[in-house]
Amino acid sequence: MLRSLRFAALLGGLILSASGQARDVDAATYGYPLTNPFEATIASTPPDLRPELPTDDDINQSDYSLNLLPKREFELPDNFWAVKKFHYRLARQDHPAPLIFLIAGTGAPYHSSINEYLKKLYYKAGYHVVQLSSPTSYDFMTSASRFATPGVSKDDAEDMYRVMQAVRTQQSDVPVTEFYLTGYSLGALDAAFVAHLDETRHSFNFKRVLLLNPPVNLYTSIRNLDKLVQTQVKGINSTTTFYELVLGKLTRYFQQKGYIDLNDALVYDFQNSKQHLSNEQMAMLIGTSFRFSAADIAFTSDLINRRGLITPPKYPISEGTSLTPFFKRALQCDFTCYLTEQVIPMWRARTDGGSLLQLIDQVSLYALKDYLKTSTKIAVMHNADDVILGPGDLGFLRSTFGNRLTVYPHGGHCGNINYRVNSDAMLEFFRG
Amino acid sequence: MVHAEDTTPPAASVVEPDGFTLPLKQLTFNPGLDQREFERSTLNALNVYDPLENWNRRVYHFNYRFDQWVFLPVVSGYRYITPSFLRTGVSNFFNNLGDIPNLLNSLLQLKGQRSMEITARLLLNTTVGIAGLWDPATKMGIPRQSEDFGQTLGFYGVPSGPYLMLPILGPSNLRDTGGLAFDWTAESQINFLNVSDVSENHPEIYLLRAIDKRYTTNFRYGEMNSPFEYVKVRYVYTEARKLQIAE
Repeated sequence: MLRSLRFAALLGGLILSASGQARDVDAATYGYPLTNPFEATIASTPPDLRPELPTDDDINQSDYSLNLLPKREFELPDNFWAVKKFHYRLARQDHPAPLIFLIAGTGAPYHSSINEYLKKLYYKAGYHVVQLSSPTSYDFMTSASRFATPGVSKDDAEDMYRVMQAVRTQQSDVPVTEFYLTGYSLGALDAAFVAHLDETRHSFNFKRVLLLNPPVNLYTSIRNLDKLVQTQVKGINSTTTFYELVLGKLTRYFQQKGYIDLNDALVYDFQNSKQHLSNEQMAMLIGTSFRFSAADIAFTSDLINRRGLITPPKYPISEGTSLTPFFKRALQCDFTCYLTEQVIPMWRARTDGGSLLQLIDQVSLYALKDYLKTSTKIAVMHNADDVILGPGDLGFLRSTFGNRLTVYPHGGHCGNINYRVNSDAMLEFFRG
Repeated sequence: MVHAEDTTPPAASVVEPDGFTLPLKQLTFNPGLDQREFERSTLNALNVYDPLENWNRRVYHFNYRFDQWVFLPVVSGYRYITPSFLRTGVSNFFNNLGDIPNLLNSLLQLKGQRSMEITARLLLNTTVGIAGLWDPATKMGIPRQSEDFGQTLGFYGVPSGPYLMLPILGPSNLRDTGGLAFDWTAESQINFLNVSDVSENHPEIYLLRAIDKRYTTNFRYGEMNSPFEYVKVRYVYTEARKLQIAE
């Protein structure tokens, strides 16, 4: 009796979970050649395994600007003239079609290489495409962010939503049949919060939303990224800095090759040469790139809010003023530093205080768990070896998204987005 | 640390119950997590001799505006009115002219093999490629290799001198600016295919060349989307030139 009960429970569990089982792509059938997560993150897919895409000449596209925060024009110093207005890129079809919004990842502008790639992919599939900068990017912070202190996902989504509504108004002559939304990395987290906001505001009624490699716990992700510059790198000593080490390798690589040739396959080819970087060196390189984003964010947020942590509030800045002293200060600040020195104090002041744990809960995917669990229009694609994830994050995604989650065995952080298998799955999802 | 550099890492050595493969576990970290290598490298990279920074930054902003309001609109007009094969022909034609200073500087640096390759390019492209409008040499596996007088000077150990942001032309330094002047003079003296002489009476050729140059240059101001783009461009330019000279 007991045994049959157990059996029944097991069977019931199997039936229940059958609808909720994530799609795990098997490494052998997947065929993605870069099994090293750091290499995949840096090099992305080798060119001949990418989908065929139209060239820029074949796309009817333009950049547009919006004046979303007119006051900023007077608050910001002169040498920020280029980012006082908000810019975005629209690729339009000559017939009624769905419109897809693309949100860039951490610090990335609307014309980031992944956004450009996604634009070509979806444009070819017949969609109007709007490319948007990340709420953490320099241009978004100065021209569209009310508090200019990105990191509080709900506020970032509100800013983003206003941007999207303004884009829709400016492009009211574009014949749109329905709206789609996607984003990669931090942009995917933003997309989830934007989709949630849209459930109450209904400006777009997104039909489908796709999250590519989102952070699950934002705090885990930023700590992982901060940690990447702490790897033990062989070859660094008192006379050779990390950059000199990498440039030295690059120089020798070109000398052995006989000529300089910059192309899509460069990193892949370089990693197959004798000069290839070790895991620690690649991790350092990825960490370095994120530290530059952190420095930009810390500097810009401090300057706009006149916090005086990096730039003295009344320091006169003209077009000729050297920003080097402030860069020197800003580059000392990683994501954790930005969070503790700028985000938390602002968030506490605006929300009657709260602990770090509460903040993490509010800005991570956890905050949307119930919504994501029931909202069948949202899907996730992630990698089992993504450096922005921590233990348990995939488990959260599995229990939240069920069969709307696809886990690829390799790809690192966003390295396989331009792999043909992934691009086919992405198009398939929106085709419905 | 054991030779991480010489071994390919074991793929997915650790797997969590939820399928996560813990990529950070593959790395050796500095035990105290207090290394300041990013800071040291970056501060070190800021040491580019730039006594005219104030002036250079103004020129940088001027160029940025000129690019957005004049240069790029002209280039997109050029894109609009000409078919793609014609633009490629124009680029090939000017590249072929440019192979003259490339050859000259390659000879000056006593680079035998490279000089032969550039000579082969010139011969092929000027004849089979009809005055350089086509580029059969690249298709036959002799890619374009650029050598300018700035590189020649660098090759013989002339230091780069102060960093300079040239109006319209963009990032440079004292040595490379001198090199540029030399290359231009040499080109007009050699008068290859009679282009320099004809250009005297037809300044539109210079204009076309300038447009073609902008059309083929991928750099966009604001592309890095960073408040510190000026110092980043400065560093990248300086290091790229070092690399070109060493190679």
